[in-house]
Amino acid sequence: MQKIIDEFSLNFIEDDRYRYILEGLGNTVLISFLAALVGIALGFLVAIIRSNHDKTGHMKAANAVCRVYLTVVRGTPTMVQLLIIYYVVFASVNVSKVFAAVAAFGLNSGAYVAEIVRSGIMSVDEGQFEAGRSLGLNYRKTMRYIVMPQAFKNVLPALGNEFIVLLKETSISGYIGLTDLTHGGDIIRGITFSAFMPLILVALIYLLMVTVLSYGVNRLERRLRANER
Amino acid sequence: MNGEVLLEVRGLEKSFGGHKVLRGIHTQIRRGEVVAIIGPSGCGKSTFLRSLNLLETPTGGSVLFEGKEITAPGVDVDEVRQKIGMVFQQFNLFANLTIRDNITLAPVKLGLMGKEEAGRRAMELLERVGLPEKADAYPAMLSGGQKQRIAIARSLAMNPDVMLFDEPTSALDPEMVGEVLGLMRELAKDGMTMVVVTHEMGFAREVASRVLFIDEGVICEENAPEEFFGNPKNQRLREFLSKVL
Repeated sequence: MQKIIDEFSLNFIEDDRYRYILEGLGNTVLISFLAALVGIALGFLVAIIRSNHDKTGHMKAANAVCRVYLTVVRGTPTMVQLLIIYYVVFASVNVSKVFAAVAAFGLNSGAYVAEIVRSGIMSVDEGQFEAGRSLGLNYRKTMRYIVMPQAFKNVLPALGNEFIVLLKETSISGYIGLTDLTHGGDIIRGITFSAFMPLILVALIYLLMVTVLSYGVNRLERRLRANER
Repeated sequence: MNGEVLLEVRGLEKSFGGHKVLRGIHTQIRRGEVVAIIGPSGCGKSTFLRSLNLLETPTGGSVLFEGKEITAPGVDVDEVRQKIGMVFQQFNLFANLTIRDNITLAPVKLGLMGKEEAGRRAMELLERVGLPEKADAYPAMLSGGQKQRIAIARSLAMNPDVMLFDEPTSALDPEMVGEVLGLMRELAKDGMTMVVVTHEMGFAREVASRVLFIDEGVICEENAPEEFFGNPKNQRLREFLSKVL
């Protein structure tokens, strides 16, 4: 028992080492949250452009740009994207590491959100769209009031999953020297040469966050479904 | 048969890829008429109906609504559709909205009515179709017949000049066909102009003022129901009637 207390004290109490964990946790939450916002905005935009093109044949150029974006993002490792964003794209501008990470993870997540949302739009029965149009609602209003709410409901579990993946994926932020939760724990390991406590704590914190996130998504899903039965 | 011409179809053609579904349809639909369209499956009758409100874009010919060519480039299709109601085989009620919101969505979002006024109108319409207690229900809670009656109410909320029915009873269980046909009968009696694609020969015979037989993308025969069913002239129509009657 004493040994565990000593270990705990060494890793987290002495020299206020818990601060590495706190700082890292703050950055992980901040990056995940902002990147999720960027991902949602970008993802919906791309999905709307792509499905508009598929349905009406308009927006050819924008659709082509979106396809290149999707291909590149989905065809290269997230870590390489992060390194390129930080060391190449922002090489000559002085931006914070957090900003670079948000940009990289947001761009990355946007591609996956886009395909999820697009599949959601396609999953809504064509008759819903036709009924809206037959009443005189234009394309935009039909999408906004009829198709998108149903598409969103259909893809909510997949979107929740994407944000769980995103949260965990930010653990590679250490590669641009950013202290995220993982890196924070690893710094402690480097100082104390004690791997068990800091890494297990880091893992537990991720697990807790993911659990809370899944719980929230489940509740939202149930609330949205409630009105259909 | 002396009402003004609401819909005029001139040489309407529609192809899907290389397949020609409509091969030149000519007809007029006057105010107050109830036109039933019958024909074998795949004959193009649904495509014809869907061309009238441009859910299908014709590949040839033209459609005129209230004297205006709506197939011309630059026409605001959405504005035209506000005046042409449509009822679908699969009902297509908005699954994410309550029955009341299904009915009020279009009038409100198109700025034709305020939310309150539209709500009152929705209740009137629900009374009319006999389902006032379903205002706050969702479509998934209703039977097929109820859904179709709501779909008709939703269409009526736009005060259309003409209503298109695309096989409105084909997806219904037999015991629910009656309630929907009954409602359509009432609409017809109230003077609504209706174009109805149907397999219900009884309805066509009793309610329609005119019946069209479409086969292989053209109108083969059109006549008042007594003559149409009592003394069919077209050979294919005779064969068709002998199979379905």
